[in-house]
Formats: sequence, structure tokens, C-alpha cells
Amino acid sequence: MGEKSDVWQGTLALMALRTLETMGPLHGYGLARRIEQTSGDLLQLNYGTLYPALLKLEQEGYIRSRWGVSENNRRAKFYELTKAGQRQVKKAAAEWEQTTAILSRFLAPAEEA
Amino acid sequence: MHKLRALWIRLCGIIGARREEDDFAAELESHVAMHTEDGIRAGLTPAEARRQALIRLGGAEQTRQAYRERRTLPWLENLLRDVRYALRGFRRNPVFTITVIATLAVGIGATTAVFSVVDRILFRSLPYAHDDRIVSVGLVQSLEREEFTLGGFFFDWRDNQKPFEAFASQEALPHACDLVENNPAQLNCIHAQAGFLPLLGISPVLGRNFLPEEDRPNGSRVALISYGLWQDHFNRDASVINRTIDVDGSPARVIGVLPKGFELPTLQAADVMMPFALDEGVERASSPGHPMRTFARLRTGVSIAQATVELEPLFAHTRDTLIPAQIRKDFHLSVRSLRDRETKDVQLTAWILLASVLAVLLIACANVAGLMMARGESRERELAVRSALGASRGRLIRQALTEAALLSLAGAAAGIVLAEGLLRVFLKLAPTGIPFLTRAGVDLRIASFTVLLALLCGALFGLLPALQKPRAVALAARITNSRRRTVLRRSLVAGQIAISMVLLSAAALLLRSFQNIEQQKLGLQTNGVLTARIALPGFRYDTGEKKMAFYLQAEAALRRLPGIRAVAFSDSLPPGGWNSGRRYSDLAAEGKPHAAQGTGGSVVVRRVTPDYFRALNIPIVRGRSLTEEDRSSGGYRVVLSRLLAARMFPGADPIGKRVQSGHDGPWETVAGVAENVKNNGLTEQDDPEIYSLRRSAAEDWGPPAPVLIVDALLPASTVAPWVRSQIAQLDPTVPVEIEPLSETVSKLADRPRFETALLGFFAFCGVLMAVIGLYGVIAFVAAQRTQEIGVRMALGATRLDILRLIAGEGLRLIVLGGALGLGAALGTARLLKSLLYNVKPHDPLLYAVAMLLLALVALAATLIPARAATKIEPMQALRTE
Repeated sequence: MGEKSDVWQGTLALMALRTLETMGPLHGYGLARRIEQTSGDLLQLNYGTLYPALLKLEQEGYIRSRWGVSENNRRAKFYELTKAGQRQVKKAAAEWEQTTAILSRFLAPAEEA
Repeated sequence: MHKLRALWIRLCGIIGARREEDDFAAELESHVAMHTEDGIRAGLTPAEARRQALIRLGGAEQTRQAYRERRTLPWLENLLRDVRYALRGFRRNPVFTITVIATLAVGIGATTAVFSVVDRILFRSLPYAHDDRIVSVGLVQSLEREEFTLGGFFFDWRDNQKPFEAFASQEALPHACDLVENNPAQLNCIHAQAGFLPLLGISPVLGRNFLPEEDRPNGSRVALISYGLWQDHFNRDASVINRTIDVDGSPARVIGVLPKGFELPTLQAADVMMPFALDEGVERASSPGHPMRTFARLRTGVSIAQATVELEPLFAHTRDTLIPAQIRKDFHLSVRSLRDRETKDVQLTAWILLASVLAVLLIACANVAGLMMARGESRERELAVRSALGASRGRLIRQALTEAALLSLAGAAAGIVLAEGLLRVFLKLAPTGIPFLTRAGVDLRIASFTVLLALLCGALFGLLPALQKPRAVALAARITNSRRRTVLRRSLVAGQIAISMVLLSAAALLLRSFQNIEQQKLGLQTNGVLTARIALPGFRYDTGEKKMAFYLQAEAALRRLPGIRAVAFSDSLPPGGWNSGRRYSDLAAEGKPHAAQGTGGSVVVRRVTPDYFRALNIPIVRGRSLTEEDRSSGGYRVVLSRLLAARMFPGADPIGKRVQSGHDGPWETVAGVAENVKNNGLTEQDDPEIYSLRRSAAEDWGPPAPVLIVDALLPASTVAPWVRSQIAQLDPTVPVEIEPLSETVSKLADRPRFETALLGFFAFCGVLMAVIGLYGVIAFVAAQRTQEIGVRMALGATRLDILRLIAGEGLRLIVLGGALGLGAALGTARLLKSLLYNVKPHDPLLYAVAMLLLALVALAATLIPARAATKIEPMQALRTE
């Protein structure tokens, strides 16, 4: 897979939620492509892992799904955020930012040491 | 919250799986189609585009699998599948299933029931704060084995003792008292000091405890009532506090309600508790003063032995100042833990029952283990096949665990039902002397403990076959011979036989002892003898004259009835129960020095009317019996038992000599000597006995109330109503309690009967299970050696040789287990010694009988499969794979 990174569980859920927040309802394939695009094609998604992750989010009540028709006139299942999902995006994003902020301090080039 | 929601949805996902799977299949299909389209648009061939799409997906089947695992709870699904599989297996093999469940049920049921009974006696903490530090303190002597204190020294001890942080008394005996109001009731009242409840750490659920000023003479009359009385009589009305009730004709103010389930440390019943209100000054100066039961709480870190040593000087002072010199030697200081005070005399029985039921549980576990192992071995091939088809070790272990758990749970459920039933039987059988028994119920803690144990032993041995990697050989369809496990199974069976032997011999000892008790000569007749206790209300029959008049009228009326041979009065009845005893040294024979004080043990004293000897058919061996004329002659006459006569007048004729009981008693003339009678319970050594004449004089009819004895030709069921109606004609309000003497005697044997029945039952269960285990092993061995038997027979072995071959296996186990068991039984028999009556704990005959019985049953269990083995057709056996 070269320099392309794998996606680890947990962050995939946040990526999916965030994408659904900005893009509105999407079907699974579209969501996967969109996540890859947003990553600047640095992420190589194993599409098969997306569906259990979506199912988990749906079971937790953050997203809901319904069958619809795609841009190419194909029957597809569309996912969209629920109210709880919108709250969850904000909460998870804030947590993630905090985590990365802390980590970046550790990884910053040593100044005084 | 969201996690819970997800869990719930996944749980629901187990049902209705099909539709959602289809739904996801459609979603995947649409995903792949869109991806393929994009690929074609990018210039790939349709086939290549679809291949790429599937690769990026990571495989359609794998995705579906991952999705399914997320959609439901896979472990739960697996569990359900395991359960279904196990249930199918059980249905196919009902004998195995039923045997395991029944074995577990007996083990769990018996253990739970016995544990529920002995828990309160041996283990459960007493319902008081710091119950492990509460002790019973006082004097004991040969006629009173429970600690008591007297007003004459109690206060001295209380003020000068050091080892206790609390020290308080209750009245020695509760007394009957009347609650007089619209709804009158007869109650039990007890007096206790103000410090008594705080000592026990008990505070009233409602209201307050006594104040120190209420515990003084002329303090205000207050009362605490029991929870039961509050509930039944006052409908749990909180306004009962400060209400004035009338107890025995004088008012008392209710100040509190005792907690539910409160019990006196003496275990006596009491509905109303009032302040002792002793006059300290008077008590200190008096000798002996009020009798009481004293309890104390040890300071932390002080042991009972230390406390006893520290009290010794106080005791010595009391003994030397208060107790008459002649009987000083008989008094001892005693400090006992409250548990010992309450249950000492049944602790041994409780331990023995517990030990024997644990032995049964052990046998049951061994049996289940053996059965599970046998099943595991016979399924080795199945396991091998499943493992070859890709089942992981973990999967096989889970399956085995599921089966074991199912069996254990079924056994546990049946066991708890059985425990409930057994407990009822115990209650029916149990003697009255076992405390707490009536309140024993199947305890959930105990039940869960035994279920856990059953699970453990089921799982442990259920796992054994699964843990071993199924060998490829097993696939070759041969029953493989795993030597190690066979050895384990055999030792389990030998162990079972050994434990059964211990149980069986203990049961035999108890049975023999019980027989001895039942068949011994009492020295009196019980058939056709009725006893009646007539409770004359003290306020109407307040003088000896009135009482005597009533009793003499009753006697005359009963004598007129047809079929009555004799009517007599005594103050107590042989062979057991209460009697008024004296020390031997209190008796004096005319012209002889007193025996050394405090020596000679106790003497039973009975005050009887002349017909006593005829009614109970006690022969007079010398001189004459008491006569009707003696009753009114005014002279004092006595009859001695043969034992007493020989002690007081060795080698001389006692007739006409005079004896005196007590130092101020009248001198009484010996009229005759009666044959000895069992008079100290069924199992104790007889005491010497003196019968003094109950004259027709008022002073002879005071307390204790006499017991009426009627010897009738007709059955008790006919005579009892007559007796009742005769007494009712004299006074219809007095309660009469009638009991055939044979029943009274039978009740005395309740304890040994209880012990014998229980141990017998356990021995039966143990032997039964051991035999089942033995049968299982031999049948298994026979099946394993089918081919070998075929070969042997083809080579000319006779059926007898085969029988010998297979039965020999069993015989070895029986001999080994029996020998081990015999050793253990002989070793443990000493523990039973105090329960045995006229049986030596090492009576060889009993052990031989137990051995023989066990051997016979066990041999039968080996002969059945062995005989079956001889029926094998050689040609067929050789073809058996």
C-alpha cells in the first residue's frame, strides 16, 4: 500500500460522522470515496470495514439509513446524521483535538531540553 | 446510554436475522455495482473493474461476516447454538442425563437442606452486636449446668470485674402473665436490667430502652413489648408508645417495641420485658438473693480463658462467703461463649450431619465426574471429527462447558426443590431440643454455594476430554484406551466406595445404638398409661387445701370410670424430663453419718400417691408399697429404689429405718424397696431414686403441680375424652394436657431417631451413587474390551473366564475402596462415641455387616455388565470396530 495509511477503528467512525455532517446524506460507497478524497488520497480505506462501522453508529443512534436512488439512478442505501449524531460529532471532534494537541506537544522538536 | 441502545439492538438482532441479511446483501451489491461503474468509466474492462471493486471491499463474504458479527452478539448466538446442540445430545442419551441430574440433585439437595439446619447452630453470627464477644457468666453446679448468678453476689461481681465492658442480667425464667384488657391474652413476661439490651446491642425499633431510674425499686412501671405482640395485638400501631397496658392487674406504660426477630440469649420466649428493678441494698445483703442469667461483653482482645482467670478471685470470695461449706465443692465458675450456651449440646450432632452430607456431596461430585469422563471418552471420535472440520479448541471447550453448565443448573434446580422437601422432613423428624430449627428455611446463599460447587465439579471433569487435543487416531473409529483417564475414573470409584463405607458404618453404629435405646428395659410399663397435666389457675386455687380438694375429687371421679386400673399422682415422670433432684449427700440415714458433702451425684425425688407403683407397674422387691391408709395416717413414709437402698443401707435391711432428705426435712420411715427404673433420660446412667408419700395434707399439694397418671385397660383414644370430661365436670375452665406415656418416651428418643434417620439416608444415597459409579466404570471397561473378549472366546475362553475377567475389575475396586473406607471408618468412629448408647465404636460385627452389605450391592453392580460381556458373540465382537 505504499505510503498510504490504514485507518484504525474509532477514527473511522469520527471521519464518517464528520463527512456526513458536511456532505449531508450519502450512500456507503460515496461516503468511502469522500473520506479518501478528504484525506487527499492519503488514506486507503478497506471498504468492507466501513459497513460494520456504519452499523455500529446506527445501533448507537448517531445515524439513520434509508433506501434511496443514487445520482446514477441506482438503488442505494443513504446514511444521514441524527440529532444525537450531530452532538456526537462535536463531542468526538473536541476530544480528538485535545488528544492531538497533547500528542503534538510530545512530538514537537525539543527546545529547552 | 448509546452503548446500551446498541447492545439492545444487537440482542434483538438475534431474532429475525434473515430479512436484514438480505437487506445488507442488496446494499453490498449496490456498492460493488457503483464501484464497478466507476472502474469502467476509468477505462477498465467490466470484469477487471468488478474484480478491483471486490478486492477493495476486502471480499464480499468476509464483509458479510464482519457485518453479521456487528449486527448481533456472536458469543450469544454461539451460546444458543451450543445449548441447542447440548440439549439434542441429552435427548439422545436420556439415561446419562437423568443419572447426572439426579446425582447432582441429591448432592445439592441434601447439602443445602442440612446446611440450612446447621448454619444457625454452627456458623451464622448471633443476632447481637459484637456477638463473638458476648459470653454467659456465672456459677454452675451438678444440678444446674447453665450459668446462673444470684442477687447476693451479682452486684459485687458487676462492680469489681475487669474483663468485661458490659455486664447485665435477665430474670432466670420468664413467667406467665396476663394482659388484661378488652382482648385479654396470656403472655410470657421477663424482667431484665436496664443495661441488658445495650449489652446485646439491641435497641427498640420504636420508642426507647429502660432508663436507669426505671430499673430501681419503686421506679415507674414501664414495659417493652415484642414485635410479635405489637403486630398481633396492637396492629403495629405506633401510638402504642406511652399507652398504659394492664399486666397482671397493675398498669404499665409501654415505652418501646423490640426489634422483629429479637430473641433472648437464653432463647426463652418473652412477649413483655420489664425492668428488673432489684433493690441493690437488699440483694447485696441477702443470701442467696434473686436467681438470674448474666451475660457480659468481653473487652476487645480479652479471651474467654483470660476472663475466667480474672474472675477467679471474685468467684472464690463468693464461694467462701455465700455458699454453705458443705456444698462448696460442687460449685464452679463458668464463662462460655453465647453460641456454646445456646447450642453446645447439638453442636456435635450438627458437625456430624454436616460432615456426612459433605461426604454425600463428594460422592455425588465424583459420580458426576466419572459420568462426564465416560461421556467424553465415548465422544472422542465426535470431537476429533469436529476438530478436523475446523472447530477451534476454544470452541470445543466452550461446548463442553455449556453442557456441564446445563447439567449442573438442571441438577441445581432439582436439588433446591429436593432441599425444600428434605427440610420439611427434617422438621417433622426433628427433636424439640434443636434450636432455630423451626425457623430454618432453604437459604439462597447456601443454595448458590452448592450450585457453584456443582458447576465446578461438572465443568472440571466435563472439560477434561475437551482439553486434550483430539488425536488423529480417534478418527479411525476405534474406542481408544486412554490409560491415564481410566486410572483416574477407577480411583474416583474406589474413593466413592471408601466414603460410602464410612457413611454406612456410621449409620450402622447409630442404628444399633438407636435399637438399644428403643429396646432397653425401662423398668416400667408405658402401654395403656395416660398422663394428664392440669393447669389450675393460681388465683382461684390459691391455697394447698383448694388444690388438694380438686385433685382428690378428680382422682375419685376417674377411679369410678370403667376399665381404669389405677389412678395416681406424682410431681414428675420417668424416664426423662424434669424431676426434682437432690444431692445424694443431702440424704441422711438414721444413725449414720452424712456422706461427704457435695458427693454421690444426684438423687431423683418424687412425691407420689400409693397407686403410682401399680399404675406404672413398678415392682416392690422388699417390704411393702405405700398404701391408701398411709395417706391419711399423717406419718411420713418413703419407698427407696433398689439402687438407693443398696447405697444407703449396704448389706442391711432398710425396712423400718428412717431417712431424712435435706437438713430440715422430716424423718421418713422406709416402707419398701422398689425395683430400679430408668429415670435419667434414655441414655444416661440411672440415678438412685426416693419416692416420698404424697399425703392427703395441704402442704403436700403445693407446687410443683402434680401430674395425673391413669393406667387403663382401654385404648388412649377412648380414655382421653373421658378424663377430659371428668375434669371438665369439676371445673370446665382448667386446661388439660393429655399424653400417652409411650409418646412421652418416644419423644425422648427423637434426637437419636433424627440422627439415625438422617445418617441412614445419607449412607443410602452414598452407596447408591457409588454403585452407579461402579456400574458405569465396569460397563465402560467391558465395552472397551469387546474385541479382546471376542478374541479370547475365539481362542477357547469359557463364559465363566470372561465373567471372572470383567468382574475381577470390579472386585479389585470394591476391595480397595472397602479397605480404605474401613480404615477411615475406624478412625472416625471415635467422634461418634458420645452419640452411641451401649455400642462400642469399634464393634466388629457392625463393621462386618456394613462391609458385607456394601460388598454385596457393589458386586451386583459389577455382575450386571460382566454378565452382559459374557453374552458377546465372538464373531460379532471381532468385527466390532
